[in-house]
Amino acid sequence: MRRPTAPGTGAAPSARTAVHRAPPGRALRRLVDPRSLRWKITAAVAAAACAMALGIGVLVHHSTEVRSMSIGRAGALRELQAAQAEFRGHPSAGRNPAEPGYVTGDEIPDQLRDLLGSRSGPVTWYDTRKPAQGASMWAAARVDGTVMAVQTDMTTDLFSRQALDRHMKYAAIATLAVVVPLTLLAAEPVLRRLRRVAATARRIRHGELDARTASRHGDEIGEISSAVDHMADALRERLRAEQRFTADVAHELRTPLTALVTSASLLAEGEAAHLVRDRVQALRVLVDDLLEISRLDVGTEQAEVRRVPLGELVTESAQRTGLETRVLVTGRPVVHTDPRRLDRIVTNLVLNAHRHGRPPVEVTVDATSIVVRDHGSGFPADLLAHGPRRFHTGAAERGRGHGLGLTIAIGQARVIGARLTLANTTPDGAVAVLSLPPGGSQEL
Amino acid sequence: MPRHDSKPAEQPDGAPAPVHVLLVEDDEAIRRSLAMALERYGYRTSAAPDGLTGLEMFRDKHPDLLLLDVMLPHLDGIGLCHRVRETSQAPILMMSARGDSLDVVGGLEAGADDYVVKPVDTPVLLARIRTLMRRTAFTPPSAPAGRSPHDDGSVLAFRGLSVDTRCLEVRVDGRLLALTPMELRLLLEFVSAPGIVLERQTLLRRVWDYGWDSDSRVVDLTVQRLRRKIGADHIETIRGFGYKFRR
Repeated sequence: MRRPTAPGTGAAPSARTAVHRAPPGRALRRLVDPRSLRWKITAAVAAAACAMALGIGVLVHHSTEVRSMSIGRAGALRELQAAQAEFRGHPSAGRNPAEPGYVTGDEIPDQLRDLLGSRSGPVTWYDTRKPAQGASMWAAARVDGTVMAVQTDMTTDLFSRQALDRHMKYAAIATLAVVVPLTLLAAEPVLRRLRRVAATARRIRHGELDARTASRHGDEIGEISSAVDHMADALRERLRAEQRFTADVAHELRTPLTALVTSASLLAEGEAAHLVRDRVQALRVLVDDLLEISRLDVGTEQAEVRRVPLGELVTESAQRTGLETRVLVTGRPVVHTDPRRLDRIVTNLVLNAHRHGRPPVEVTVDATSIVVRDHGSGFPADLLAHGPRRFHTGAAERGRGHGLGLTIAIGQARVIGARLTLANTTPDGAVAVLSLPPGGSQEL
Repeated sequence: MPRHDSKPAEQPDGAPAPVHVLLVEDDEAIRRSLAMALERYGYRTSAAPDGLTGLEMFRDKHPDLLLLDVMLPHLDGIGLCHRVRETSQAPILMMSARGDSLDVVGGLEAGADDYVVKPVDTPVLLARIRTLMRRTAFTPPSAPAGRSPHDDGSVLAFRGLSVDTRCLEVRVDGRLLALTPMELRLLLEFVSAPGIVLERQTLLRRVWDYGWDSDSRVVDLTVQRLRRKIGADHIETIRGFGYKFRR
């Protein structure tokens, strides 16, 4: 009829239901986690910045080079013209005829000679044969059948272009040094919103059905936030409808059951009457338990705290089950708690121990805890791992009962602020430890 | 839990007249089965299917005890309780079908003396009725306080409030008060232990014959009603413990 997904008295034992909070140092670990989206965003932005710097660098490098070459070429050709005049016997003013401004014969580099070929020219050639020593621009032409060439120095130009490349590299690195931390910072608000969505989903998982992200952004994160919110709304509605259904079913069963209980008590003694009364009683317990669970599920139950002598209450509760139970009380503990809820817990634990375990069933009471121990085969592993499930009694030997008792005990324990821990002992037996909240107890 | 008790409360052929219970319940099956059960144990019953009929029958037949469902057509159990209390202090036992506790509080505030939750075991119902019908007895305090010098020792006086423990009469400033049996018994518990803190559980045990599994709001709400009648300053609330009657 219902699945054990309800949060209130839910499936999980108390230890598992503790809300996960970020431990200290988690923020730091999150910062350096290489899988974080923050580093992926930063890497993408850095790569984009690098690509852009490279593109601009190549463009600038290339256009500077083109300009340098054309200036160099023009200079070399001017020199060549002057040299041609000189070669023809019109030395230019101020030049020593013994040191001509041109070269001929073997002094002309082979590359330049190949470039000129059989043409009359002029041709130019950029000479970077020894880049460490500099660069120069050659111009050559054939004058009256003789190949002549001039060389103009371009070392300064080469070095200044190299300097420009270097500066562009530095600028790119400096830009990255600024962009990377800025990206990390800029990614933070986005990541925080994402983390908030995750945290909200976790809270809903732990039973806080009213948790919402309440994001009002129109972007994709806003979209996932509102999707989570709507999912939570739908989930809560579904859950409430199921809870209402359980409560309604139990309520509706009560009216016919009331007449049935009274009528059954009027039957003349006999085997059939005994059977009817027994089954009516079972039905009645079931309906009562369902109602109790539906109230616990709604989560509005409040403890009515009184001063309670723990030993007397536990002894009386155990006795009222009518089953042989050893109660051991240490001292005369007095606690402030809700006696009716505590009675429900003890009764359910003792009944459970008798039903599913083996005698002797022992109850030990001290200042703040009640331990119910039996000597059967212990709780099934599934129950210890996932907590009690409604109408799941687990193993075959747990045939009697309907698995609501432990659910009720855990739910009531939550209402009075106590913790119920279930465990198995060696060599045999199940142990349920109810730890009452500290501060509520005192010795009498 | 069920205390099997087959002894009739009153012998049908015994000397005292059988206790007359007025049963107001809208569900016919419940009404008939309860009437049969009560008659089996020696009670005389009248039954009404709704609140207005119930009120009429109450006025006509003067029953000794009212057994009321909370949810009733025309006039609900709480309303009926109020109307009955205008003229009568007969014990009223409410039956609540809801898990919701609000109607229980409403019923007790309106003047019901106790409540049972449906479905109720017949022995439990009989025990409750017996408790409500029990003769009120007074145990004198070991150190009587506020004893008036003029009387024979049966009248206790406390600042305007006087309790005659023999005739079971309670007066405030000379005016005779009408108390329900449970209110009277609660008051007698208080005046027999003036100045002593009485825990709710103790009062539940002594006045209502309840154990740990009981609802202590019965005490709280009856104390409230008692305060309204005798004056608020006589009974002091001790938080987390219970109540104390001021000398």
